[in-house]
Amino acid sequence: MAVISYTTPLSVPAARVSRRELWLLAPGVIWMMLFLVLPILMMVYVSFWTQTTFKIEPTLTLKSWATFFTSETYLSALWTTIRIWLTVLVATIVVGYPAALFVGLFVKNKTLSTGLLVLCVIPFWTSFLIRVLAWRPMLGKEGAINMILMKIGIVQHPIEVLLFSELSVIIGMTQIYCVFMVGPIAFMLGRIDPSVIEAAQDLGASFGRIFRTIILPLSMPGVVVGSIFVSVMVLGEFATSAALSGRKVNLLGNIIVTQVGSLKWAFAAVAGVVLTIIMGAVVAALLRVVDLRKEL
Amino acid sequence: MNASGIKFGLGTYTALFLVFLYGPLVVLAILSFQTGPEGGPQFPIIEWSTYWYKHLFGLTPPSRISPLPINEALFRSMALAVMTMIVSTVLGVSAAQAFRRKFKGSGFVFYLIVLGMMVPGVLVGLGMALVANSFGIDRHWWGTAFVLHVVYTFPFAFLVMLAIFNRFDPSVEEAAWSLGVSPARTFRKITFPLIFPGVLSAMLFAFTLSYDEFSRTLFASGRDLTLPLAIYGTFSVEVHPNVFAFGVLTTLFSFALLGTYAALMTLSVRRAKQMAIQEEA
Repeated sequence: MAVISYTTPLSVPAARVSRRELWLLAPGVIWMMLFLVLPILMMVYVSFWTQTTFKIEPTLTLKSWATFFTSETYLSALWTTIRIWLTVLVATIVVGYPAALFVGLFVKNKTLSTGLLVLCVIPFWTSFLIRVLAWRPMLGKEGAINMILMKIGIVQHPIEVLLFSELSVIIGMTQIYCVFMVGPIAFMLGRIDPSVIEAAQDLGASFGRIFRTIILPLSMPGVVVGSIFVSVMVLGEFATSAALSGRKVNLLGNIIVTQVGSLKWAFAAVAGVVLTIIMGAVVAALLRVVDLRKEL
Repeated sequence: MNASGIKFGLGTYTALFLVFLYGPLVVLAILSFQTGPEGGPQFPIIEWSTYWYKHLFGLTPPSRISPLPINEALFRSMALAVMTMIVSTVLGVSAAQAFRRKFKGSGFVFYLIVLGMMVPGVLVGLGMALVANSFGIDRHWWGTAFVLHVVYTFPFAFLVMLAIFNRFDPSVEEAAWSLGVSPARTFRKITFPLIFPGVLSAMLFAFTLSYDEFSRTLFASGRDLTLPLAIYGTFSVEVHPNVFAFGVLTTLFSFALLGTYAALMTLSVRRAKQMAIQEEA
């Protein structure tokens, strides 16, 4: 999927792999082939196996696929996955962009802007699962947010929809993943030559104009890179929805976990292949916009 | 341009953004000091106490709340993270070293490696479980889970080292070679000290990612729980503040790790500077 966007460097003709490079590359390449490519191929293969109640046989059939695409549960999980992915993606951009704009462009002091970025990264030193769980005492009926809202007098009764709903999953994922958006955008904004903006100012351009014609286009690669990170992570998610939705929100990841739990390997594999295809399409589409290798 | 107004607005927004980032963690830290065993994981704090911290270490009288199964899990997670750190750093350094020369198929190899951090854990975990099942391999945290942890962290180590080698001046190496120093000795004496900060970062990445990794581990680790799996187990049951106390402790551990990294980094930078001074003298 990713090979599409790769172009060989034009300047120097690529040499053949020498013996030295071969030895340096072989361990890593073999490792990835055995433990990354082979498992994925195996998943595709198993999705065509015959699943009976208690076991699975290597007789090829399309039955699991047919079951997947005719079942209400699976189709709704597919739809939920896409809906939550898009919502969280938009939410991380909306929530993260202004913060990235401030850190990357408005904070001129290098130490201060690095400090702010570090401040954004620090929460990542807490275990992912604990960060997810931390939203429970925030959003619950007796949680911190409801308590504060009732103290101030904004609401009379606790808002129940905050926890164990799709909303809580979206809030949780946005907080957990928005930093992956802020980082790349701030990085791109930090690379903008200040004299370009000064020139625009001297010519009398308003901030809105400067933002639309200079800042936004130049930060787009950051948005795309951030979107790749967020998309890949959200599409493969199952823990946040398990912890914050009270089993109400089922993503494809949750389906895989449940099916593996009941030893329905073929169904899990079908869900896995569907997820892989979606992800491949999303990443390939985003990589068409920017060349990841060039931006690193 | 009315920049100061916009700057003020964005600054305020960023402050709110940080509150959003830290809010849940602060609440969690406060609630970890809830009284026990009757105090729940919500406000108000009935009475401040360190009950749940003692509970973690089995220092409290037995109650109906079972302790987190972290003793063995902690050991396993540490061992797994160290193994992953060593292997993925070695793989990352050697692959990046190969990438210093352009060669045919470098695009393919690059994306093959980067794919490791892109494919969601639940998918490789499922694939690995299927491979293990059909080849009759037992699943263990030190086997099937370990190789997947390396698949995940090796790309990070590789990318860090690529960035380091991009800024590397090869003329010092060439000088050593032209003086007849063997390539192995050149690497040990010249290249490695120069890339050491990068190696340190790669190691830090690999260790922390593996230590916290759980979606790959879930299907691939078999019976024995690692630390994240032990926490995941609490998701399906009632949450007690002992999980919060544990969260505070693991965060402190991470900071200790970060501190060690920073100290080693400063040390190696200082040593590099000293070497430069000696050369000039």
